[in-house]
Amino acid sequence: MLISLDWIKDFTEVPNINIHDIANDFTMKTAEVEEVKKLNEHLKVIVVAEIVSLKKHPEADRLNLVTFNYGEKEFKEVVCGAPNLEVGQKVPYAKLGTTLPNGITLEPKKIRGYLSEGMLCSATELGLGEDSKGLLQLGKAAVVGQTMLEHLELNQDYLIDVDNKSLTHRPDLWGMYGIAREFAAIYHKPLKNPFDDKWKEKLEKNFTKDKSPISPKVESDSSCLSFWGLSVDGVQVGPSPKWIQDRLIAVGLRPINNIVDISNYVMMELGLPLHIYDRELIGDNTIHIKRLGQNDVFETLDEIKRDLISTDTVICDSQKPLVLAGIMGGANSGVRDETTKIFIEVANWKPEEVRRTSVRLGLRTDSSARYEKSLDSKMTYRTLLRTLELVKELCPEAYVVGKAEYDGLDLSKIPALQIQTSVQYINRILGTELERKEIVSILESLDFKVENSKNDELQIIVPSYRATKDIEGAHDIVEEIGRIIGYETIPVASPKLEVKPITLTAYKNVERKVQDYFSLHANSYEIMTYPLVGEKLLEKAHWSDLNNELVLVNALSQEADRMRPSLLPSLIEAASVNTKNFESFRFFEWGRTYHPTGDEKFFHEKNMVGVCFYSKEKSTFLELLNSVENFLNYVGINFKFQNFCSSKFKNDYIAEDWNGLHPYEKQEIIIRGKVKGALTTIHPLVCRDFKIKGNLSIALIDLTEFTSAEIKKSQSYTPLPKFPAASFDCTVLVEKNKPVASVFDIQKKLKIKDLESMKVVQVFSLNEEHNAVTIRFVYQDPSKTLEPAIIKGYEDKCVATLADFGYSLKV
Amino acid sequence: MIEKIEEIYSSFKNELNALSKQAEVLNLKAAILGKKGSLSEILKGLKDASPEERQKIGPVSNEIKKSIERDIIDKLKAIEFDEINEKLEKNRTDFSLRDSLRELGLQGGGLHPTHQIQREIEDVFLSMGFEVLDGPHIEDEYHNFEALNIPETHPARDMQDTFWFADKKHLLRTHTSTIQIRGMKERKPPFAFVGPGKVFRSERTDTTHEMAFHQLEGMMVGEKINTGHLIYFMKTLLKAIFKKDMEVRLRPGYFPFVEPGFELDIRWKKPDPKDESARHSGWLELLPCGMVHPNVLKAGGVDPEKYSGFAFGLGLDRLVMVNYAIEDIRLLHRGDLRFNKQFASF
Repeated sequence: MLISLDWIKDFTEVPNINIHDIANDFTMKTAEVEEVKKLNEHLKVIVVAEIVSLKKHPEADRLNLVTFNYGEKEFKEVVCGAPNLEVGQKVPYAKLGTTLPNGITLEPKKIRGYLSEGMLCSATELGLGEDSKGLLQLGKAAVVGQTMLEHLELNQDYLIDVDNKSLTHRPDLWGMYGIAREFAAIYHKPLKNPFDDKWKEKLEKNFTKDKSPISPKVESDSSCLSFWGLSVDGVQVGPSPKWIQDRLIAVGLRPINNIVDISNYVMMELGLPLHIYDRELIGDNTIHIKRLGQNDVFETLDEIKRDLISTDTVICDSQKPLVLAGIMGGANSGVRDETTKIFIEVANWKPEEVRRTSVRLGLRTDSSARYEKSLDSKMTYRTLLRTLELVKELCPEAYVVGKAEYDGLDLSKIPALQIQTSVQYINRILGTELERKEIVSILESLDFKVENSKNDELQIIVPSYRATKDIEGAHDIVEEIGRIIGYETIPVASPKLEVKPITLTAYKNVERKVQDYFSLHANSYEIMTYPLVGEKLLEKAHWSDLNNELVLVNALSQEADRMRPSLLPSLIEAASVNTKNFESFRFFEWGRTYHPTGDEKFFHEKNMVGVCFYSKEKSTFLELLNSVENFLNYVGINFKFQNFCSSKFKNDYIAEDWNGLHPYEKQEIIIRGKVKGALTTIHPLVCRDFKIKGNLSIALIDLTEFTSAEIKKSQSYTPLPKFPAASFDCTVLVEKNKPVASVFDIQKKLKIKDLESMKVVQVFSLNEEHNAVTIRFVYQDPSKTLEPAIIKGYEDKCVATLADFGYSLKV
Repeated sequence: MIEKIEEIYSSFKNELNALSKQAEVLNLKAAILGKKGSLSEILKGLKDASPEERQKIGPVSNEIKKSIERDIIDKLKAIEFDEINEKLEKNRTDFSLRDSLRELGLQGGGLHPTHQIQREIEDVFLSMGFEVLDGPHIEDEYHNFEALNIPETHPARDMQDTFWFADKKHLLRTHTSTIQIRGMKERKPPFAFVGPGKVFRSERTDTTHEMAFHQLEGMMVGEKINTGHLIYFMKTLLKAIFKKDMEVRLRPGYFPFVEPGFELDIRWKKPDPKDESARHSGWLELLPCGMVHPNVLKAGGVDPEKYSGFAFGLGLDRLVMVNYAIEDIRLLHRGDLRFNKQFASF
């Protein structure tokens, strides 16, 4: 929203301080200023030039070499592509160094071998209109050498561009008068009120005793809140005076004709949109505001056919819709050059309905943007009279037929919003010690009325235009006070609170353990991948669960249109980003996966760790397995690894038939009797689809159950042994096609109560069939020193049991 | 006799010095101190000496004997030391090539930069008595909008580009403010918590916009919590992040779930005093915050008549980006380890 400082000065005094300070004050007290612009700055340096001679560019048919006089001693020459050139024309010339409204700064440039020093400009290039076909013709009377600012008799206004988002909650600030009120409050200056009762009475004198040609009829089930109509005859359509045009251009609107310009001007000034019809295009002098009742196509005045639905509110004549309520007029009823009889509509509409229709049609207009913010019905009459005032000013011949006609809510019955609060409450929320009189003075400067009441109590009457949505209760009053005193004046202090112990939640505990373990102990980097994935990635990873139940309806792209069912595809993809840069790497992600429940609950989120170890040279599976084992021990989770699908439960993390599973290097993680994860080396075929060469192993661990309840890690102590332990090493033969660790199978049969541990000391390849595996048994009796005979017995038993399992001693 | 003994000692010394093997030293010891050793032989002659002579020779010979024994031990130690050192010399390892100088693939490890900053902030708030909470990423309309004072017709819903699921009831949370409602319902005032986490917006991605990013929500509710307290905690937070006092400014900002609502900016660059148009520039919009709207307190089961509170939201990725001058927000989710390794813990 552009604020014209010149326009604001119609209503209040603006202090004579730097414009950037003014913008900053507005930012600090009202709404964010994005930019300050000095209007027409470029027109100060663009001058009137007269074409002296023309010749064709030798290299290009469409270009001319133009020599011109611009009031200096020497003539200049530019290369120009405009079609409408003639010697003697007077046109605008922009010198080198000029910055045009489109942001381009002119620099010396060779065009097909000819140096062009600056340029001759079209209306568009100067920001003065939409004609870009040829140079702007300044007419015979233009004085060569004069600046365009002088030539056009423009004044230099300042524009303050306010971020529209920061005005979302302030419908009253969508017009200059509302902004002027803020200026008045910020700078403690009076706000002029040209729209007082005397003004109203003066304008009402234009009303006649005649029957109004049109009396609007509002259906109460429509989106209309209030509707004023006024018929005026004797209007003459023509260009509006320069002062109106200048102001409209300044705030970014295009002047069209006096009648359309008036409606825009009044909207920009008072913040309430309005619509002016050619009354002769209204069938049977009927204005009927109702829901459309059927789906229909309606051509709006931008000449686009819009699909309306039956519940859209429209303004109709006896046969057809004329205006899409609150959004845009139709192509069939607007003011034309020959219009003499007009009908002025000033209405208010239900904000949510205007918003819904405008969003549905993708049609946002100055009008809809205002209505959807909740405008004040009580302001409609003032807007109608202001429109009439300008019509009379611009077309003195014009006269009202009948009087202002109304239908809609009974405006006198809209109660004023009263808020009961206290000085103490305001100070309590702000942390200030403001006096009652400061508070009252601020509120009054913002047009709130404070009734005389007891010292601390504040009985506040909210101006109707602030009460539509913005101001609801005492907390809103706090904001009004806070922003005007300036938040920088609030004393900063710590609250005085009871001291309570704080512990990490189970979720945070697990999260931190995952992050710490894998980054510090497993030498991995934490990464993040998107929780949103696309079918393409899942299919590339041969992943069969496409999570079709958790697809977004308004995804940005097909690559991110659904929640990920697993971390795996994203992790493989992340690995593929890195294989070309590193010989080996390790990373992990602590992330969620999302699963439909198929019932009311809709979804279920799992907190997963995914770990990826990669090496170009060698398998990383054992390293990963060791890491995961250590991790689970670190967190304090009892678990075991088992071969894939050796239990009756199916693996929810990696399907048994997934193509990415390695035929041998794979394990399931069992926690509390349930499958809670899996590890596998990714099958080379799947790796190939991701252009990964080398060994990539991935682990997935589901920690969801540990994020809601604390893990009790069992930690116990046994006194140190007082008696020596005995150890026994023996070397047995293990067939090469058997896993070395299968020697531990004997533990099930080996019933030795004093067996402290059994560990493999060494493995070496004996011959083609066998590995020689050295095993160490440690025996310990906590109560006494083991006697040699007992030790011998244990040793024999170990050897015998090994033999029973087919592991003979190496001789 | 004394001369002879001394002669033996000095010749022993000479011989010992020349030796380098343990056996030779032991042989030498035997040759002097053994039963038939040269010193023993001489001392045998002592029995023929006069008592005066004996009295004179006795202590001298003992002294010399002890010296010889000591010299032998020292020599043996020296030989052993040399032998060990010789072995060490043979087994010498070249330690010049540290891992950091070798091509071992990617080494080290560390947290994602966003999580590093997140944890730092969590710890600051934990130290001040705030709990750390989180909630689901998939939310319902109630928690994401309605309970936060954003009814369906509210224009603020335009400001939040929401990802919706097909049932039109569930969505991806657009802000961590959803954590407020769950947090309030599970607690009785006074309480304070922060809630960091992932949020989602249906925005075209580019170098500064992401569909998934991170926020940290904070809330404190009590009987007399005011705007001054909010500023206090925000300044404390910023000091912890930037390791120095930060110049801040609070200006009006509109968020439906707070009233009054603020934008907190930090002074990021001192403006050029010569450039008039830049005199109020150099501020960085960092922290939307405000006093919790009474409707939000009510939705959380807190009596707004009795209690007040503040809430704030912090864009974590934004903070990471300004802190390290990262040019493209999309790097945070790419998993390119050339990026992540720059934030290694070791």
